Amino acid sequence: MSKSAKPAQTAVEKIAADPITFEVLRNVFVNACERMTTIMQRTSFSPILADILDFSNAIYDPKLRLLAQAANCPVHLAAMQYSAEAAIRKYPIDKMKPGDIIALNDPYQGGTHIPDITFTMPIFNNDDLIGFAVSRGHWMDLGGGAAGGMGFGTHIAGEGLRLPPIKLYENYKINEDYLAIIMNNTRTPFFVRGDLQAHLGALKSAEEELQRAVQRYGKETVLDTMDALIAYTERIIRNAIKTIPNGVYEAEDFADTDGISPDPVKVKVKLTITDTAIDVDLAGSSPPVKGAINSPYTNTASAVLYSLQFFLAPNAPSNYGMFVPISINIPDNCWLNAKWPSPTIGCTTVTSSKITSAIWQALAKAIPERVTGSTGSDCNWFISTTNKNGATNVFSDLPSGGWGGTPYSDGMSVTMDPLGNCMNMLAETAELLFPIEYEAYELRQDSAGDGRNRGGLGAIFKVRFLCDGELSQETSRTREGSPGVNGGTRSGVQRQTRIEVSGEPVVIGGIDPQGSWHNPLLSAEPFTEEEQFMFESTGGGGWGHPRLRPVSSVVEDVIDEYISVRKAREVYGVVIDPVTFAVDDEATRGLRGA
Amino acid sequence: MWRVGVDVGGTFTDLFAWKEGSDAFTTGKVLTTKHDRSIGVLEAVRKAGIEFADISLFMHGTTTATNALIERSYPESAFITTEGFRDTLEIGRQHRKYLYDPYQTKPKPLIRRRNRFTVPQRTNVHGEERRALDEKAAREVAEKIAERGIRSIGIGFINSYSNPSHEQRMREIVKEVIPDAYVEISADTRPIFREHGRFVTCAIRAVLMPVMSTYFTKLENGLRSAGFKGSLLILKSNGGVMGAELAKQRPEELIESGPAGGVAYAAYLSRNGGYENIIHTDVGGTSFDASIVENGQGLITRSYELEWEVPVSVPMLDIHSVGAGGGSIGWIDEGGGLRVGPHSAGSEPGPACYGRGGTQATITDANLILGRLHPSLGDKFTLDVAAAEAAIDALAEKIGLSRLETAEGMIRISCETMAQAVKGVVLERSRDPRDFLLASFGGAGPMHACFVARSMNVPKVLIPAEAGVASAFGATAMNIRHDVEGFHYADLMTGDFAPINDIYAKLEKRAGDLLARDGVKPAEMKFERTAQMRYVGQTYEVETSIPDGKLTDSHRELIAQAFHVAHQREYGTSTDDFPIAFVSLGITAVGQIGQPPVFSYKKGSATKPGSREVYFDGVWHVSEVHSSDTLQSGKTIAGPAIVEYPDSCAVLPPKSQSVVDKVGNLIVTLNH
Repeated sequence: MSKSAKPAQTAVEKIAADPITFEVLRNVFVNACERMTTIMQRTSFSPILADILDFSNAIYDPKLRLLAQAANCPVHLAAMQYSAEAAIRKYPIDKMKPGDIIALNDPYQGGTHIPDITFTMPIFNNDDLIGFAVSRGHWMDLGGGAAGGMGFGTHIAGEGLRLPPIKLYENYKINEDYLAIIMNNTRTPFFVRGDLQAHLGALKSAEEELQRAVQRYGKETVLDTMDALIAYTERIIRNAIKTIPNGVYEAEDFADTDGISPDPVKVKVKLTITDTAIDVDLAGSSPPVKGAINSPYTNTASAVLYSLQFFLAPNAPSNYGMFVPISINIPDNCWLNAKWPSPTIGCTTVTSSKITSAIWQALAKAIPERVTGSTGSDCNWFISTTNKNGATNVFSDLPSGGWGGTPYSDGMSVTMDPLGNCMNMLAETAELLFPIEYEAYELRQDSAGDGRNRGGLGAIFKVRFLCDGELSQETSRTREGSPGVNGGTRSGVQRQTRIEVSGEPVVIGGIDPQGSWHNPLLSAEPFTEEEQFMFESTGGGGWGHPRLRPVSSVVEDVIDEYISVRKAREVYGVVIDPVTFAVDDEATRGLRGA
Repeated sequence: MWRVGVDVGGTFTDLFAWKEGSDAFTTGKVLTTKHDRSIGVLEAVRKAGIEFADISLFMHGTTTATNALIERSYPESAFITTEGFRDTLEIGRQHRKYLYDPYQTKPKPLIRRRNRFTVPQRTNVHGEERRALDEKAAREVAEKIAERGIRSIGIGFINSYSNPSHEQRMREIVKEVIPDAYVEISADTRPIFREHGRFVTCAIRAVLMPVMSTYFTKLENGLRSAGFKGSLLILKSNGGVMGAELAKQRPEELIESGPAGGVAYAAYLSRNGGYENIIHTDVGGTSFDASIVENGQGLITRSYELEWEVPVSVPMLDIHSVGAGGGSIGWIDEGGGLRVGPHSAGSEPGPACYGRGGTQATITDANLILGRLHPSLGDKFTLDVAAAEAAIDALAEKIGLSRLETAEGMIRISCETMAQAVKGVVLERSRDPRDFLLASFGGAGPMHACFVARSMNVPKVLIPAEAGVASAFGATAMNIRHDVEGFHYADLMTGDFAPINDIYAKLEKRAGDLLARDGVKPAEMKFERTAQMRYVGQTYEVETSIPDGKLTDSHRELIAQAFHVAHQREYGTSTDDFPIAFVSLGITAVGQIGQPPVFSYKKGSATKPGSREVYFDGVWHVSEVHSSDTLQSGKTIAGPAIVEYPDSCAVLPPKSQSVVDKVGNLIVTLNH
């Protein structure tokens, strides 16, 4: 992938000589990736993979172009492409043999942040290279200053073990020396072998599927179809871009802080639509920051591409063809183009979600009738505990917020940010494995942005420590909520609270009741036994003016306690009796007009 | 006495009955009576000419429970849970169905938020009380529910699988306030961990109880007043049956009650035909079902979802469905690709060739054009070839292929979609398709079976003699079956076996009681022990067989080996690197009620086959056309050929070799 736009290629007119085989093989490629996902989910050991599904799998053609992807995490979409390229730069393909697997996580060599490890394996049929399988997983812990690499310092070395491309497997056999280094550099060595076995199983299943396809349809047909499939997606994307009016559309959004300085950090986006191509220029974004939210080129580009995908062709096969019509310019001296030794741990969440929001707001100027409100920003937490026997546990979850209102409906409540598609940790699963108790996992009233179609709601999470421990969390949207569109309002703000043993709540991140703001990048925050941590996530932004929401929908929302009677009156202009839920028609007309 | 199986489908209600102690059987088919399905059921019996008083067991598969859930057509219901967890039923697992669709929504919660209540209480993971149940708050909640006139109530507390006493006390309080309510607790529906699945399953039981009570009572009254004196048994999702009284109380076990009959028929064929491993497939007008039968048993899953994030945590036959069938419509997508389905022309307007106003090209139209389907469809009505041609031509023009290429291509694509569903069960469960035989049921099944099999590298296809009433037949081949489970986490090598022996004894007692309530005598009861086990640290379990009798240290290694084998089979890997743990213990209790015999196959007459031109692989082939009533045992047919059955036709491609087995099944060997 090049950094600048390729000259707009002529879209291939017909998809392939044989559209039937094309359709058949298209399914084969997608299913190969889905099978990888099943194997990862069912056989991995760390809960962040098995329960939360923070991983993605993909297959590539022999030219190392993305062919199909079962992406649990869109933020991995293009990042995996760069990782695979970096792996093969280091280990040229003519020296590779079946069962050689290259692992890397270096943010400056194809990685994004330290915990995301990528495994790249070439696939051969007899001696012919027929593609690559790539599996990427967010590992629970690879060392660093706090569990999950969440030290939030000012140097990458504080975020854990940084692996350049290494040949971790040769002929399907692991290099025990490398393995020993990895196991020496994690708080959770007991997960390592099992998780590696899961990645290996996934890669091998893709190998089998691709070999089966070649044996059945012939190498020529399969490789031709790969080309045709990439051209097909490119054509769909170009047709979709055509439906957006030509023009230049700008917007910006902010991360609350880099965790070191209290200043907001800016994402500035300029989209230039020219017929069937989009240029994305991030000039004007903040310079590199000291703290942990710098984003390597790989991560930034990935965020740009998946953010656009939502409003281009959501159902098009995810492959290299998606990247071709889109050029990306990221200035060199910019927090969105991180260089050694800038820390990057927060880039996949805090930073990616702001890039998405900025791009969606820019698109809202071009196609307001199609764009949704922004989603609740994303965050994750890592809890590290040491019990009385001295055993260390690392526990993580990805507490989500709501999605923005859409032209057709209210947004989804408590659903993972566009950047990922991970699942939550169930209370009973967590309590079985870790010395904690969940006290709440419930919708948060009035947390959504309001609108004709309101955002989905955020949630209240409460977790109680059953022994002393530390908590790290990266999040944002603590100063201002997720933006709405077309007159829809912003959602509420996020907040982190310590509930002391006495029951006394103390805000430790976000805005406290006195109006003071606290840094929401919490690193190794100590908690004592029986203390609780509460996180209040935000909802999605609203779509359209709230006063245009039908009165009956407002009443239903009040009955279900999604919104309060007060909000119904003040924002929606609907006056409702809190006991009978009867609408005061006259007062409502007064507030809404006519 | 007759043993009767009835399957109520979307269009037809099918009946199959056999006379106990003989090999006499009869069948019946009537239109389904949608306003009250029990009417059609009674009609089917009359049509088959069976006296109600002569029926011993009446076995019934129904989609009523599933329909009520999907349509949310049940009385307003309530759910009571631990403070802080009001929204577990609504939040689900916080992921989305479509990765990039910004407009998607989630399914409506089974119970609305206004009717979900919380009560202060807490039990910890070890089953110890952390906070007592707030009796005053509990009573207030019950009173509020009473005020709203709600009579179906589910109760689910966090960690109740480890100690149900708070849920039980909550139920007592609700019962005191609303004596006539259906009140269900999650520890009863399925006492295993992971609150989301347990709460949803409990809610499903609660909301369905009034619906299914009404339906079964009406059906039973209808049968009784017609003179029926035997037992009414209901098909369950696990591939067994249970009595109607129990079915009213355990309706969450009825989700696959409809399709279960077909799987049971495949299992019957497997046991009696010597076909060890069968892929069961069923193709109708709009959907395709696939499942695996191994060693005479349908494969079971514990990770079924009714809808996105609506899991049903009970052991169920692992049936995968996709939108592909005779009515599937061909279309061109935005990238210029030819696609088929999942939209279907259904029965109204139906395929273009039905001449009922349909203009879009369907799979049935494609089969007609290729000569695979005869225009005089079973002499029932004549298909309109010109309309089919016009529909296919319209599509052909857009993609620049000929009419015939387009028609054959549509069928290939559709068969590929069906093959994906088969892959869903076969590869997902790490089975090798080459070890299987694909059995094809349903009106559109035998037309496509050979192509689906070919796409999956399945070497053989079975087309049964009684495909038209497969599900009803299968119903009569089922045993009474109950699966009960209890949570118990312990390390295999170091854990204490005393509590495990104790739990198995209790579970066996509970399962025995359930069988007794279904009228099974102790001598007819059979118990099998299983455990859900995993490598320590993993979060997904694999079912492992556990030996009978008291477990001692000498069993540890044996169980470990059984687990490794099961893990290897399900996921393709196993390892000695990690310790193994029990997560939950289970009993499968079977009440053996006798199986249908192998019915002697009536030999057909040996008439000379006809012939017609059929299009395969881009060429017209002169193909033999056989009528199903000429299929004598041992007869062989070389493809290309067509076999016409009363309700369907089998398409046998070139190079295939078919032989009629001793009971009239057509066994097709494909030469890939």
